[in-house]
Amino acid sequence: MDIRYLSAWEDELNVCIRCAYCFEGCPVFRDEKMGWEVDGPRGKLILAHGLLTGEIEPSAHIADKIYSCSFCQDCVQRCSANVSVPDIMAAARTDLKNAGFTRESIEDLVNNVESSGNIFGEELEIRPAEGETPVLIGCRFRQRPDDVERYLDILRKLGIKPRVVDEEICCGMPQGVLGYKDDFEEYKEKFKEKFPFKKFICLCTTCAYFISKAYSELEPVYVINVIQEKLPEVTLKKLGVKVTYHDPCNVSRGMGMVDEPREIMDRIGAELVEMPTSGKQSECCGGGGGLLVTDNALASRLAGKRVRQAEELDVEYLTTLCPTCEFNLQNTVRSTGSDVEIKNLLDLIWEALQ
Amino acid sequence: MKEGLTSVLADIAGAGNVSDDPAELYVYGSDSSVHTAVPQAVVRPGCLEDVQEILRYANDNRIPVIPRGSGSGMSGQVVPIKGGIVLDMKRMNRIIEIRPKDTLARVEAGVIDDDLNRALKPYGFFYPPAPASSKIATIGGEIANNSSGIRSVKYGATRDSVLGMKVVMANGSIVTLGANTRVEASGYQLDRLMVGSEGTLGVIVEATIKIVPIPDFRSMGIACFNKLEDAGNTIGDVISSGAQPSMLELMDNVAITAVNNAQNLDLPDVDAIILFECDGNVKGAIDFEMERIAGICENHNGFDIEMSYDAERRARLYMGRKKLFASLSRYSKGYSVISLADDMAVPYSRMAECALKIHEVAEKHDVIMSAYGHCGSGVVHTKVLMQPGRKEKWQDAKLAVEDIYDYVRSIGGTTSGEHGIGISKAHSLKIEKRDSLWMMRAIKKALDPNGILNPGKIQDAPDDWLTATNLRYSTK
Repeated sequence: MDIRYLSAWEDELNVCIRCAYCFEGCPVFRDEKMGWEVDGPRGKLILAHGLLTGEIEPSAHIADKIYSCSFCQDCVQRCSANVSVPDIMAAARTDLKNAGFTRESIEDLVNNVESSGNIFGEELEIRPAEGETPVLIGCRFRQRPDDVERYLDILRKLGIKPRVVDEEICCGMPQGVLGYKDDFEEYKEKFKEKFPFKKFICLCTTCAYFISKAYSELEPVYVINVIQEKLPEVTLKKLGVKVTYHDPCNVSRGMGMVDEPREIMDRIGAELVEMPTSGKQSECCGGGGGLLVTDNALASRLAGKRVRQAEELDVEYLTTLCPTCEFNLQNTVRSTGSDVEIKNLLDLIWEALQ
Repeated sequence: MKEGLTSVLADIAGAGNVSDDPAELYVYGSDSSVHTAVPQAVVRPGCLEDVQEILRYANDNRIPVIPRGSGSGMSGQVVPIKGGIVLDMKRMNRIIEIRPKDTLARVEAGVIDDDLNRALKPYGFFYPPAPASSKIATIGGEIANNSSGIRSVKYGATRDSVLGMKVVMANGSIVTLGANTRVEASGYQLDRLMVGSEGTLGVIVEATIKIVPIPDFRSMGIACFNKLEDAGNTIGDVISSGAQPSMLELMDNVAITAVNNAQNLDLPDVDAIILFECDGNVKGAIDFEMERIAGICENHNGFDIEMSYDAERRARLYMGRKKLFASLSRYSKGYSVISLADDMAVPYSRMAECALKIHEVAEKHDVIMSAYGHCGSGVVHTKVLMQPGRKEKWQDAKLAVEDIYDYVRSIGGTTSGEHGIGISKAHSLKIEKRDSLWMMRAIKKALDPNGILNPGKIQDAPDDWLTATNLRYSTK
C-alpha cells in the first residue's frame, strides 16, 4: 500500500501515547451500537499506524472504521499532546482510497463537486450581488436562496455591501477530508480562479473553518465575527424567545468561538437555555466528516441525541449556525416526529434587525 | 480452530460482541505501554454468566484470556503476549447500588471512574483514588492494577478503597471476597490478593467500594523552587510534620516545560514546583494546614507561593498535572514520551536524591527523563523522552531503565507504585521480590492451574522487556 499521505504523520503517531483519554467524548465510540475500541480515536490511530508500518493490510473493514469519524475534534481537545486525529484520518482516507478502498457514496459526492461545483451535483440558483465585500455562500446555503437573501440583508443592515458571484464553487472540503487529497491541490486553483478574492466573508461554518486551514494564502472571515463586531452599532428588536443552541464543532472547537454566538443571542433577546453539553464540550450532531453519506444511520442517531436533549428543555427553538448541523438535525426531527423546531441563528438575527 | 473459537464466543456473548477481524485484533493488541501483540479473538461480555461461560470454555481448551478495561495501562498488563481471547469488560458498566449510609457503592467492573463520581455527586460523595486516567479508566481495571492518583496521599490507593468483589475464577466458578464492612478479620484477605493481580488470578466482575463525603472546601497551592533538590526535600518534611495534604505533587523543569508547550499554561519556568492541596469542612483548619505546608516550602527556599480556594484557578493548576503524561511528548520536537521506569515509589527521605539521580542517569544514557509525581505518597514518575524511531535509542533507554531500577531498589524503594508490573517492569520485580517469587507462583498455580489467565505477566513475564513483544513504535 502506498502510504504517501500517512507517512507525513509518522512522528505524530509516535507522539500519541495511546492513553485512550480520547475515548471520553468521542460520539462515535460512545454510540450505543459502536463501543469497540476501534471505533474510538485511539483505535483509529492504531489502525493508521498499522497501515503505515505495514503491520496490517488495508481492508474494507478498516476503511469503514477510518470513515466512521465525524471530524468533531472532541478527541483533539481531550488529547494532552494535541494529536490532530482528523488530519491523520484525512491522510489515511486518501491512502486507503488510492489503494482502492473508498466509498461509493463519497465518490459520488466528490464527482458532484468536480462536475457541478457543489456537493449536490445540481444546478443551484445563486443570486449575484454587486457589492464591495465578497461573500462565499457555500453549497448547503446555495440550496436555500431565499434564506441567503435574508442573511445578506443582515450584512447590509450592518453597513456591509455584499458581493456575491455566481461562479462560486464548493470550497473543496470533500476532496480535502474525504480521501481525495490528490485531486484537492488542483481543485484549489480552480476554486481560487472562480472565487478570486483573498479576504471574504463566509456564511457557512464548514467553508470558513476548512478554508482557514487548507488555504494558507486566503483570509476567510466567518460571518458571526462580522455580526458580533457590528451588532452593537445598530438598533435591535428584542425577540423575547427562549432557545437552546447546538454549538457546531467547526465553530466551537474548530474556530474556538463559544462566547460570540452567545453574546449575540443575549443582544437580540434570545434567552439561552443550555443543553447538558455545550461550548467546547458540546456533543457532535454527527453531520461532519462525511458521516452523512458514509453512515447516515449513525449520523441520525447522534443527531437524535441532541434533539432529545432539546426536547427536555422548555424552549421555542433549537438553534445552530452550521447548515449541515441544521440539515442533519432537521432530518432527524422529521424522521422521529419530534416537535423540536430547528432554526438557524442567522434567522433570529435577521428578525431582530427588522 | 479460530473460526470455531469465534463461533463459540458468539454463542455465549452474541455475534455482535465478538470479533476476529485482523484490524480489531490489531487494535486490541495494544495499550499505553511500549508493547504490542495480537490476540485470536476479542469478546465483549454483557453479564457475569457470559464471563463464566467464556472462562469455562477457555480453561477446557487451554486458551489464554486477557481481561481488559480501557487499555490505559502503561506496563503492558493487557497486551496478549501469548495470544488468546481479549475480554473487553466495558459493556459491564452498571452501577448496581449506592448506599450513602453505609458509605459504599457496588458496581460492575466496566464502570468508568468519572462516571461513578458523576453518579455519586448528587449524594454528596466521591470515590477517592483519582488516577489521572479517571476519565476513561474502569473500576475493574483500577482494582486489577491497584491504581492510585493525586489524592492517594490522604485517601490511599485503590487497595484502601476496596471492600470486596465478585471474581470469576479460571474454571468459571464465582467467588465473593471481602465484606460490606469497614473492617474484616475473617480469614485470609483474599480481596486484597486480587487487587493488583492484573487479571492473572481471576476476572473481577463486580466491586464493592468505599465512598467518601465530598469535603466542603478545597484549597490548592503552588510553590516554586530554584533547586529540584530543595523541592524534593520539602516533600518528606511536609509529610513528617503531621500535615495532611490531600495532594502533594512535584514537577521538575522538564515536566513544566512540556506542559507549558502543550497546554499554554504559563507555569513558572523554574527548576521545580510543588502543588499542594488541603481539603475538609472547616476553612480555618484548611488554612492552618496550607500555611503550615507553605512555611515548610519557604524553609526549603520555596518562593512565589500562591494559595487559592477559587475553583477556576485550582482547575488550571491541576490541569498542568492531570495532562502531564501525554504533554511530555511536546517537550521537544521529534521526541515522544515512552512509558518506561514510570512509577517507582521511594522513601520520603530519599525523594530529593532520587529526583537528582533520574536526571543523572538520563544524561549518562543520552535520553531525557523527567522527575515528577504523587511524591506525597512516595511515587516518582519518570518516563523516557526519546526519538522512538531511532533503533539505537532503545538500547540507551534500556540501560537507563536498568540503572534507575537498580538505584530505586538500593535505597529501599519499589519497582511500581501505581502503574503495575505487566511486562516492562517484570525484570526489576523479580529481583526486588526474589525471595517471595515462589509464593506468587504457587498462588498462581493454585488458582489458575492451566495458566490461562493473562499468562506471561508479572512474575511470569520475560526478563527482557525490549524483546518480549514487538514494540508499538516503528524503528529504523
